[in-house]
Order: sequence, then C-alpha cells, then structure tokens
Amino acid sequence: MTQTCTVLHLVDDTTAGGVTRVIDQMVAAAPLAACAHQRVLPVTRGRFGALPKDVDIIVSHTAISWRTLPALMALRATHPNVTLIHVEHSYTEGFVVHNVTRTRRFFGLLKIAFSLFDRVIAVSEAQADWMRRHELCSHKSLTTIPSWVDLSPFRDLTPPRGPIRTLGAIGRLDTQKGFDRLIAAFQSLPDPDLRLRIIGKGPQEKHLRQLAGTDPRIVFAGFADTPTDAYADVDAVVMPSRWEAFGLVATEALAAGRPVLCANVDGLRDHDPFGAQLIQGPSARDLVLGLRRMLDTPYSPRPAQNLRHREALSVRLWQDVFLASVADRTGALATAAE
Amino acid sequence: MPLASIIVPSFNVADTIAETLTSLCAQSYGDFEIIVVNDGSTDTTLDVVEPFRTDPRVHVLTQRNRGLAGARNSGIAAARGAFIGFCDADDIWAPEKLATHVTHLLASPDVGVSYSGSRLIDDAGADLGLAQRPRLLDVTAAHILKRNPVGNGSAPVIRRDVFDAIAYRPHSERHRDWYFDETFRQSEDIECWMRIALTTDWMFEGVTGLLTAYRINANGLSAATDAQLAAWEKMISKLSALHPAFFARHTKTARSYQYRYLARRAVSDRNAHRALEMTRASLAQSMRPLLEEPRKTLTTLCAAMTLHCAGPAALDVLMQKKENNT
Repeated sequence: MTQTCTVLHLVDDTTAGGVTRVIDQMVAAAPLAACAHQRVLPVTRGRFGALPKDVDIIVSHTAISWRTLPALMALRATHPNVTLIHVEHSYTEGFVVHNVTRTRRFFGLLKIAFSLFDRVIAVSEAQADWMRRHELCSHKSLTTIPSWVDLSPFRDLTPPRGPIRTLGAIGRLDTQKGFDRLIAAFQSLPDPDLRLRIIGKGPQEKHLRQLAGTDPRIVFAGFADTPTDAYADVDAVVMPSRWEAFGLVATEALAAGRPVLCANVDGLRDHDPFGAQLIQGPSARDLVLGLRRMLDTPYSPRPAQNLRHREALSVRLWQDVFLASVADRTGALATAAE
Repeated sequence: MPLASIIVPSFNVADTIAETLTSLCAQSYGDFEIIVVNDGSTDTTLDVVEPFRTDPRVHVLTQRNRGLAGARNSGIAAARGAFIGFCDADDIWAPEKLATHVTHLLASPDVGVSYSGSRLIDDAGADLGLAQRPRLLDVTAAHILKRNPVGNGSAPVIRRDVFDAIAYRPHSERHRDWYFDETFRQSEDIECWMRIALTTDWMFEGVTGLLTAYRINANGLSAATDAQLAAWEKMISKLSALHPAFFARHTKTARSYQYRYLARRAVSDRNAHRALEMTRASLAQSMRPLLEEPRKTLTTLCAAMTLHCAGPAALDVLMQKKENNT
C-alpha cells in the first residue's frame, strides 16, 4: 500500500505521560506508517500558531477548555478542507465528578468543541458510553479506539511466581490516581511481609508520605525512567484511580503477567475482559475487600493473545479512520468538480 | 413494559398504605407499575393491600425483614421501568406527580434524579401548614451533602441508569445487587444520593410544586436523634476516601446543618437543654449556615435562647404571634 495521506498530530502536553507514548506508538506502527505519513507537532496550549499547509488530516491530542476553545475554532476555520480528528485523552465521567461543579456548562463546552471536529475518538468503551449518554457528539462521528503502546518489553518480563508479596502503585502521584486510598487500605492488612511499592512522582507525594507514616512496608521508589522497571519489582498492580480515560498501566501490567486490581470507574472497566479485577463498590472497605480477594486468589493470567488482538484492532481502526477520511475527501472533491 | 415503576417499601403499615396506594393508582400519568415490597410485616398490611391487586399495575413482593434500604433494593431489582419512583407506605403522591417527573426526565437527558418539594402532614393526614421547599436548580454535591434537596424518601423519581451505575454486590449477598446500602438503618437516603453525586455525573434537579405529602410521625420524630447522627457520621466516614478534598471542605458546614436540624427538633419538643446544646454544637462546627441561610439560622438561635431563658410559655406566645402575622 502506498502512503495515501499526510497526518499531523497536535500535542500540547509533552511531559513523559501516557499520551506521548501512545502517539509515538501510532507513528511507529508499521500498518499505519504504510498508509499515512505522520508527523507530530508540539504546540502551546490554546495557541497553535501557523500549521504546515500540506496535510490531509489533523489529529488533536490537546486539552479542551474554555481557554483553548478559540484556538480550536480557529483551527476549524482555517482548515475547512482538512479532516479534523480529536482524541479525548482526559475527560470522563469520573473527571466530571471530581473536577466540575457546573456540569451543564462543562457539557456545553464539550459539545461545542467536539462539533468542530469531523471525528471524535474515545479511548475506551466506557468513555464512549459516557459521551453517548450525554450526547456530547453525534453518534455517527464517534469512534472508540483503545490506546495502545508497544507491549513487547512488558511481555518479556518474568511473570511472578508464588503468592503476591509486593503490590505496585504505578503512576503520577496525583489525587487522580487514588493512591491515598490505597495506602489507607493497605495499612489495614496486617501481614508484615507484604510490601507496597509506590512508583512515580507528583504533587501528592508529600501527602502520601505523611499517610504512609513510619510503616516500613511502604516504599516510595521514585519515577521509573524505563517503564518496564516499574513492573519488574512488583507481583501485582493496584489502580484505585478516581478517574481514568483508559489506564495504560493496566494493559502494561496484564502484558507483564501481573494481576491487576482496578477501581470500577471509567476506562478501567474496559480492562475487565482482559483479566483485570474490578473493585466492587466505592467505599474504603470495598478496596480492602478487593485487596484481600486478590491476595487470596491464585492468579492465572489470561493468554496474552487477547491483548494482541486488542492492539491489532486499535491499529486497524486507526487505519480505517485515516482511509475513510481520505475517501470522504476525494468523494467530496469529485462531487465539487462535477 | 411500563415507563415508570413506583416502589412502595412497606413494613407494618396497615393503617396508612391504603391511602398511599389510592394516591398512586390515581396518578394522571398511567404508564406505570407499582411494586409493593412487603418487608416482613407482622400486621395486616398484606390484607389491606389485597384489594388493590385487582389493578393489574399493582405487584406485591414479600420478603423477610431487611429494612428500608433492603426493601427498596428488592423493589429496584424487580422494577421494569426506565424511571423509578419511591413512595413510603405512609406518604401520598399528588395526582400530577408522576406526570411532572416523567416530563422532566424525558426533557432533560442529563438529569438522573428528579425530585420535588413536599408538604408535611400529621398522623391523621391533616396538613401541618409546613413544607419542604428545596433548591431546584444548579444543585451540586455540596448542596446535597449540606441541605439534601431531595428532602425525603418519597420525593424522587430516578432513572434506572443511575441505579445501574451505582449497583454493587457485597460478598454476603447472593440474590441481587445493592443500590442503597443495607448496613444503614438511617441516613440510607443521603448515603445513596451522595454516592450518586460523587461517583456518577448524573445531575440532580427539582421540579416546582409540592408534589409529595410527607407524613411527620409525632412519636417517630423525636426518637433516636443520636442514632440518626451516628448514621450520618457513618455515611461521612464511609464516603470520605472517595473525595477527601470535597469532604475536607464541606463536612463541618454539613454537620453544622445537621446540628441545626436537631436543634430545631428539640425546639419543637420544647426541650430547652437539648435545643441550646445543639445550637451551640452547630455554631461550633461552622458559621456558614449563618451566611448561607441567615434567617433560618437566626430563628433557630432565637428560639433556643427564648426557650432556655424564658421557658416554653414565652416561646409559645412568640410563635403564636408569628402565626398571626402570617
């Protein structure tokens, strides 16, 4: 297949977070590279400046807010013939619950912003359900494509043997991740040989250290430069997040053969069919019960094949989105020529 | 399948349930089912319900006693409607209540919990001339925690989707999901509303009108206020971990409103000591009720002071005057 289109990825958050890795993976994926010439352009939030002219598709990975809305409107106005796609990496039901007081106004913002794009990509089925439920964008323009990163280095890790001894909490130390809940729940488990390894850094670190107090079983391991290192030292991974559009950590942990316990929120629900366990209920007690159950149940990882299928599906879906955009455009141009 | 289900939790309500069911069967909007959950009644409740079963919309479900939350949960599990209303078996729905909520929910896809104000009636069903007139629009989780605009268990009509979103199954439970937490014997309403507000983005919104007649039981009211406070605190500690910043910001004010409510109840009971104690406790928690609802807070303070300094007779005189003025 020859490259039939040029794709420009707009990114306004270039910290070493999940979004950057997801985009890198898209650019690197051979089937996508075969059909599209992809470029990544870091932009200032809310001010995109002059963009390259010769593109067929612009994929926005940027954050939507009232402040960035003018830039998105300008993007639409100056690119009437370019297919605009938005990937919603941030907003979910859980996000709204924890960060938004004027819900209706916020939904209004999202409706306006999404309407500027030809296609909106939800990164999990749960997020897509939420968008459909509140009619945030037209059903026709919504596509669900799970995020993915290269999982092969995680598959290469030796799976843990025997009972779970070390629990891992992996991610930015931020209220979003709910590690404060995890520390409290962990401290109610009496087993002196159990360990909780908290891997990451972030604004909540001081608070978390205070919560952990002098409990020698809780270790703050700092940020792992190589993502695989985070998983090598733990037997299981806990994600008590308050919101999560997709939750890459869950797929990475499952690929590494580690059992995963997830909060029953947003995109984390999507990992259930792939072997993640969901915490039944929102209270502190539910988290403790979930931890106990995970520690008591012998873990048998699902065949890694399922994750491979999911990955292949994401690639296919992106390919379809790219090709369909080009087809639509040529169709439209042909009609215009007549 | 009916569009709406009305759940009537019933425990030893032979005296009142006939009036309740009559008001429900007389709803102006007709596409509904009534699910009477007989929660292990030991009186003649079932006999009183029997004649209503000639109406094909009325279904009766009997279970061993599981409490109000357990009865509601069984009702929700059996309900087939997309909208689920609740009416305790001693309260009464105005004829247009269901129609109003159905219209509201159909027109507002973001609203999950639709509620109305209520007028208060006494044991004999006589109007007390008092009403719950809650905030109707722009309701946030903070409003719900502080002022519970839903008001009482016979006020809301709630989307089935909302319950599906908060359903869970404790390990001890074999038969069906839980929506209301059955370990609560009081404050089960506010616990459920807070869980909806803090774990889903469904909105709470009220409709105008006093569409529920809420029965104030003369004996029941003053009983067990300490147990009620304890249940409320249990709700706080259960949910705090969900959203620590939210609770850190609002709990004291919410608790202040709780104490103010208990102070007002003590005033109605003419219990001077308790009224003053609760007023003090309220102000010690937070001054915000004074800012947010100055009139009601000051009235409570004055009533408690009058009762304490001048005795119940003086308070009666003042309240008599107030009634004459209005």
